[in-house]
Amino acid sequence: MQTKELFTSRWGLLLAAIGMAVGTGNIWRFPRVVAENGGGAFLIPWIVFLLIWSIPLLMVETAMGRYARKGTIGAFGRLMGPNYVWLGAFVGFCSMAIMFYYSVVAGWCFKYLSGAIGGDLLEQSGEQYWASFQASGWEPVFFHFVAMSMAGAIVYRGVINGIEKASKIMIPLLFVLLAAGTLRAVTLPGAAAGLNFLFNPDLSLLLDYRIWLEGLTQSAWSTGAGYGLLLSYAVYTSKRDDIVMNSMTIGFGNNSASLLAGIMVICSVFALAPADPGAPAAAELLQLGGPGSTALSFLWIPALFQQMPFGRVSLIIFFVALVVAAISSLIAMIELGTRIFMDAGMSRKNAVKFVVAGGFLLGLPSALSMQFLMNQDSVWGIGLMVSGFLFAVAVNKFGVRRFREELIEPARNDIPVGRWFDILLKWVIPAEFLVMITWWLYQATINDSRWWNPVAVFSLGTCLFQWGVAFILFRVFNGRMAAATLKESES
Amino acid sequence: MEIGTIVMMVLVLGLVWGGFAVLLWMSMKAERRGKS
Repeated sequence: MQTKELFTSRWGLLLAAIGMAVGTGNIWRFPRVVAENGGGAFLIPWIVFLLIWSIPLLMVETAMGRYARKGTIGAFGRLMGPNYVWLGAFVGFCSMAIMFYYSVVAGWCFKYLSGAIGGDLLEQSGEQYWASFQASGWEPVFFHFVAMSMAGAIVYRGVINGIEKASKIMIPLLFVLLAAGTLRAVTLPGAAAGLNFLFNPDLSLLLDYRIWLEGLTQSAWSTGAGYGLLLSYAVYTSKRDDIVMNSMTIGFGNNSASLLAGIMVICSVFALAPADPGAPAAAELLQLGGPGSTALSFLWIPALFQQMPFGRVSLIIFFVALVVAAISSLIAMIELGTRIFMDAGMSRKNAVKFVVAGGFLLGLPSALSMQFLMNQDSVWGIGLMVSGFLFAVAVNKFGVRRFREELIEPARNDIPVGRWFDILLKWVIPAEFLVMITWWLYQATINDSRWWNPVAVFSLGTCLFQWGVAFILFRVFNGRMAAATLKESES
Repeated sequence: MEIGTIVMMVLVLGLVWGGFAVLLWMSMKAERRGKS
């Protein structure tokens, strides 16, 4: 078997994995979703689903990657048999498809950081700055290239010298920046109203099933459970790595970052929201969708931060945090693709070049068209729910108890894993998926008379069409992928 | 600040931030013991 690098320490693995989980969504999506779902009450389902969806799936990914020592395609093949590598290919492609447009969004963060440092971001209104950036045409492409190249350069250097070393700098820096931003926000006059909004729960809202569904989707998207990214990092972990505690640390670390970002953004918005009649109120500002659901970060935060003392410093802190969060997640996505091509026999260096070049080219439509980006965000973002379910399918095919006894329990786990794991994987996670997908199908058909349209920006039809094409292609090429990826373990 | 806010802040931040801090501490302790 090909010799593989291993993370040199548990600390290095944890930081890389937390970097994978903490992304731009923690900073802009979490505050918006909290605002849309009634503030404090939303935190209860969000924490519950961390425990009964995200952490068990993170454990599954870790155990699969370490057992198979291969990326998503090879890991599904080893666990389920060669006829099932197409399921692993779907999981891998889902994350790669997200990478194509995620790099574009990371590029926006670079652009805004440069604008905050140079000062030109402060000279125009948020709308003007955004409009001139998008209208230039070449700038989103250039910054997409910058983001992809920077993350690719780190992965190119390998697991120890690239990913682990970069994570040891970036992730502590990210937490320090978020803590500094949070401290600044809670000391603004009027910040208490933001804390009341974020934490004071209206418990009657817990009777609304939509809060529970949003809690599940936010937890799944935010922790990266079911993306296959942690699986790709777990390939480089030692056999005795503690699976349970590491997965819990990643999940709790991700939610800690979300809370820091939530307090920072929500308190800032409540303290600085325009007071003039007719202007949107703080809670409305937090719910603005805008380009790629990022209106708050790219249109309002620059305007709001300008009003406070040392606003430029706070703005730089905010966008450095966004850049670091974006790059640390992009690194994990590039590593996922790299690992798959390495399993097929490519060297790391060639695989990284191939993934970065392909990622740049396939991200171009999203860099040039906001409609395309929003379509991809919707199709593959929802696709991650399917990916998470496929992990549960793989474990059930292998045997849930066997999976626990052979793949999880032999590790030196400080926290024992018992039958609760079997119940979660066999019943709870499939049930969560079925409820969520049924609710989504219902909403998608009842609220959209042209739900079947395969070329609409948002529709059930476009999701089913693109997932269907991917599933069919991967099923057709299943044999070839299995032969290329599983050859080492068969020999 | 309202009383409900303070109670919920203690519960949520205690559980999430406190849980994360304890898990990190346990991880570092295990690493010092030579466990990966």
